Amino acid sequence: MTNKKKKSLLSDQRFIVLLVIIALVIVYSIFSKEFRKYTTILSMLDFSYYNTLLAIGVTFPLITAGVDLSIGTGMICYALIGGTLVRNYNCPIVLAMLICVAVGMIIGLLNGILIGVMDLAPFLATLCTCMITRGIGSLFSATPWPTNGQPGGWFHSIFKLTFGSGRSALRLPIGFVFVVLLVLLMEFVLNHTKFGRYTIAIGSNKEATRLSGINVKFYHVMVYVVSGLFAGLAAIAYAAVTPTVQPGTGAGLELDAIGGVFVGGVSATGGYGSVIGSLAGIFVIMLLKTGLPYIGLSANWQQIITGLVLIGAVLIDILKRKRAVVA
Amino acid sequence: MGEVILTMKEIDKSFPGVHALDHVNFEVRRGEVHALMGENGAGKSTLMKVLTGIYKKDSGTIIYEGKETEFSSTREAQDAGVVIVHQELNMVGDLTVAQNIFIGREPKKGIRIDDKKMIEDSKALFEELNIDINPKEKMSNLTVGKQQMCEIAKAISHKAKVIIFDEPSAALTEKEIADLFVIIRDLREKGLGIVYISHRMDEIKVITDRVTVMRDGGYVGTLITKDSTKEDIINMMVGRVIYEDPKTHSMVAPDAPVVLKVENLNAGKMVQDVSFELRKGEILGFSGLMGAGRTETARALFGADPKQSGKISIMGKDGQLHEVHINTPQDAVKAGIGYLSEDRRRYGVVVQKSITENSTLATMEEFTSGLFINKAKEKKVTQKYIEELATKTPNAEQLVVNLSGGNQQKVVIAKWLIRDCDILIFDEPTRGIDVGAKNEIYKLMSKLAAEGKSIIMISSEMTEVLRMSDRVIVMCEGKKTGEIDISEATQENIMDKATRNID
Amino acid sequence: MEKIKQNPIVKKLGLNRIILVVILILMFIVFRVALGSKFPVAESITSTLNYVYFLGFLSLGVTFVIATGGIDFSIGPVMFCCALMSGYCLNSYHVPLALAMIISILIGTLFGTFNGWLVSYMSVPAFIVSMASMNIAKGMASVFTKTQSVSWPLASDPVNGWFRSIVSVNGFPVGLVIFLVAAVICGIILYNTKPGRYILCLGSNREAVRLSGVNTKKWEMLAYIICGTLVGIASLFFVAAYTTVQPGYGDQYNNEAIAGCVMGGTSMVGGLASIGGTVIGVAIISLLQQGIMAFGLGKGQQMIITGIIVIVAVYADVSARRRKN
Repeated sequence: MTNKKKKSLLSDQRFIVLLVIIALVIVYSIFSKEFRKYTTILSMLDFSYYNTLLAIGVTFPLITAGVDLSIGTGMICYALIGGTLVRNYNCPIVLAMLICVAVGMIIGLLNGILIGVMDLAPFLATLCTCMITRGIGSLFSATPWPTNGQPGGWFHSIFKLTFGSGRSALRLPIGFVFVVLLVLLMEFVLNHTKFGRYTIAIGSNKEATRLSGINVKFYHVMVYVVSGLFAGLAAIAYAAVTPTVQPGTGAGLELDAIGGVFVGGVSATGGYGSVIGSLAGIFVIMLLKTGLPYIGLSANWQQIITGLVLIGAVLIDILKRKRAVVA
Repeated sequence: MGEVILTMKEIDKSFPGVHALDHVNFEVRRGEVHALMGENGAGKSTLMKVLTGIYKKDSGTIIYEGKETEFSSTREAQDAGVVIVHQELNMVGDLTVAQNIFIGREPKKGIRIDDKKMIEDSKALFEELNIDINPKEKMSNLTVGKQQMCEIAKAISHKAKVIIFDEPSAALTEKEIADLFVIIRDLREKGLGIVYISHRMDEIKVITDRVTVMRDGGYVGTLITKDSTKEDIINMMVGRVIYEDPKTHSMVAPDAPVVLKVENLNAGKMVQDVSFELRKGEILGFSGLMGAGRTETARALFGADPKQSGKISIMGKDGQLHEVHINTPQDAVKAGIGYLSEDRRRYGVVVQKSITENSTLATMEEFTSGLFINKAKEKKVTQKYIEELATKTPNAEQLVVNLSGGNQQKVVIAKWLIRDCDILIFDEPTRGIDVGAKNEIYKLMSKLAAEGKSIIMISSEMTEVLRMSDRVIVMCEGKKTGEIDISEATQENIMDKATRNID
Repeated sequence: MEKIKQNPIVKKLGLNRIILVVILILMFIVFRVALGSKFPVAESITSTLNYVYFLGFLSLGVTFVIATGGIDFSIGPVMFCCALMSGYCLNSYHVPLALAMIISILIGTLFGTFNGWLVSYMSVPAFIVSMASMNIAKGMASVFTKTQSVSWPLASDPVNGWFRSIVSVNGFPVGLVIFLVAAVICGIILYNTKPGRYILCLGSNREAVRLSGVNTKKWEMLAYIICGTLVGIASLFFVAAYTTVQPGYGDQYNNEAIAGCVMGGTSMVGGLASIGGTVIGVAIISLLQQGIMAFGLGKGQQMIITGIIVIVAVYADVSARRRKN
């Protein structure tokens, strides 16, 4: 066997990404006092939750060489639906949360059917559902979910436990534990269940998978349902950290998630990916974004940076594969 | 050799316009390796596809394990123990070896896939077969040979009783073939029936017990391998009378200059050190079996695929040979080469566009005055070639998708004639074209050669090679194995060189 | 039905286009009847036309890209980026109006070049490029304008007010004339020039075109460049009609432009494009937006309806092709 590669840590993109994260943290900490504060870390983690949840979900379509562009606007849409139910219809918060997830899965199912059964191009189908969810979201008015202390406000403590009140309050980011557990769960699903196995197989060689007697359509649809499910979960995380959910927003949020997943090492042509990698990738993007002001760039640079990082990550993947073909 | 496990009797199958199988008989016994031989298009693959349920037979009977059977899908055949190891491997590259072997029937432990068991089972399989493959390795990291072994392991894990190998050695190295044979012998010991499809005479002699030969969709006969010679088999394979007159001598003038000289062309495994010359007005036939590297040679020469090395020289206006650097099809076209692909619909024509648009595609510069396309001129020239080549179409605006294969081919020819290419590469010029149109294409090629065009013709049809070529180059496994002047060429000496295994 | 199809006039114009025009007229009548005075004829036509201008240029542009079998859904935000950056130059740096307009078109062209280069020469999937450059465009515009919205001069502006005349002069729809001329030019490029021929052919069968000795990468990239330039022009019509642009928006026009294009008969898999169809498609989409607003519905419903239209139009195309094969 000639092309058996020695597996070294350095050849694992996840490890390199981890190094990048550490390097960024060190650089920022040296240059900025602000960055070293606990509150900074806390707020960064706050915003990482929904991003990570979106990334976990969209990892699956990306592994099948598809994409889900509807997750960003979808998330906002589900959060608005949930919030409106709680505010205006006295819906119990648990039920509202379940509805968020359920609506997410329905939109996911719609995406799945358009792509897996009706054979539309993934980017086109989800671009449409992106617009549709954004439109549905715009039908609602800006909705605050219950705040801490209000009835139902306890849901914030899924993500952040608060002891005491005011400035001296102790806040623990337990949401991070929760999110990491979900990452590990989905990594397990990806690597050790039929669903995960066939997701990879569809991305690697759809025809061979079909010829192996696997119901490719079913699994292809399920991939998007999972993506929708996590967009639903992300909606809850988003509502927990954002005072008011604004209708009409959410466009562009999918880019952070998708960019993170590509940084985490998913192949642009499908067939390979890792949920843990996606988590790491998200943190690179989060750090780049939150860290910009510390090195003197306005927050408006965030979108540009994410765009460039996305193209960079995909280009690296493409060039790597080109080299592999030549060698 | 044990009792008969599979019998196929009087199998008949027609496709529109082709009688693919004409009352074919075939049987396999337990513990034998039975070779199925024949030229390209003799019907071997069709027969196996009928057996494994990909095609439905028109008539005839299949008796498997004493019962009359007709499988409706490969899956059903698989479950019954009839498994085919395809030439093109059906593997999911990003999954591991074990995951591939058990795809679709993974052992489970609760909701999780029991990878441990899968790996252990694969290990046991490999041990049984004496193969050294790590089941945890990613499939795409394996060599083609090892992938083939995995396919075999997968087949055996289905509790196969009959395994069909469809040209298993085509992509293997000597060492890998030796390993493969060890496994095949082992399977034979275990009492499996094995069908072995191959073109390589040497292998047939080494590994098989019986040989069944097919020709033109018909059954020719079955021989006991050890009692027959290589010549016997070749004679059975080619033994038909050639209905069209073969060329008896080269039509090229003895002093015709060399227009193309290729030296030591290398491009991957399929093109190794290929050198040849093409003379003005010559039809140079490239013969060989499927996968001999002829198309790959043409594509590398034309710049369609990258090549590693090789010197290409082409005659310039001054009548001298000049080295040209061809890295893209653009370079080749500039140098005056035109390529007519074997797969016209994919590589030859833009089917959703009109005859005119296709005909002028390579020569747009000629038809643009200033910014605009001169549609009148375009139409006039296209019309001229429609008449000259006798393309059957109501008008020049007809979409190519509506034309027959022969007429599509004429559109591609027109494209290169309008470009005024001096060197034309015809890759399987008459594949998928009916008999009448075939003759027209032949006449056209002869006419072009007589007018001073030089033609490289890749063909898998022996009659075509013998009828058209002035000189024949034979290839086998990426190497040139022979060069024969038409006055000396026979089916036998071409077939001999095409099946030769050079070390 | 067959009889109608064989009619020489129908054949010449194309049955699909005739149906689309009928739909357009019917829609107008329905809106008029259902809404009555809320849908005044003259005003509605004017506002529809204002929408047609900028959306039309976007749609024409993306028609070229879709003809190659690619996609560009960064066009909406890029259009805003053009208008914002050049408008900011105009207002804050006091560059001459003509120069600002040229800057607009240049920025569009640059984005087109960037997208085209990545797609054709670097083989990055088109949807990833679109996604990235959509956000780069939004980000650049925000950085440049410091997240302030930008207003272009009003018609009453003594110095720069003249630029409004690209839309209308004394009620005469100059914009319509310019747009139709542009459409005719696009049609000529697509059907009567070498680049157009290559773009259509490579969208249909890239490999066959490459093996004919054509530099497919170059021509594919050109389609994106043309698209970018047209997007730059679209931005001028947008501000001439609506004056103010806000950073961070523009996505919804992606879908509307693609909808106009696909509805008009341009196939998403490439190789088939109809400029005439795109023009009518854009008119239908624009009228629809006016109608939705006149019904008192908002952006939300607009987006939902456009989304559904694209899905239906694309699915119709996909299944028509499947039937053919």
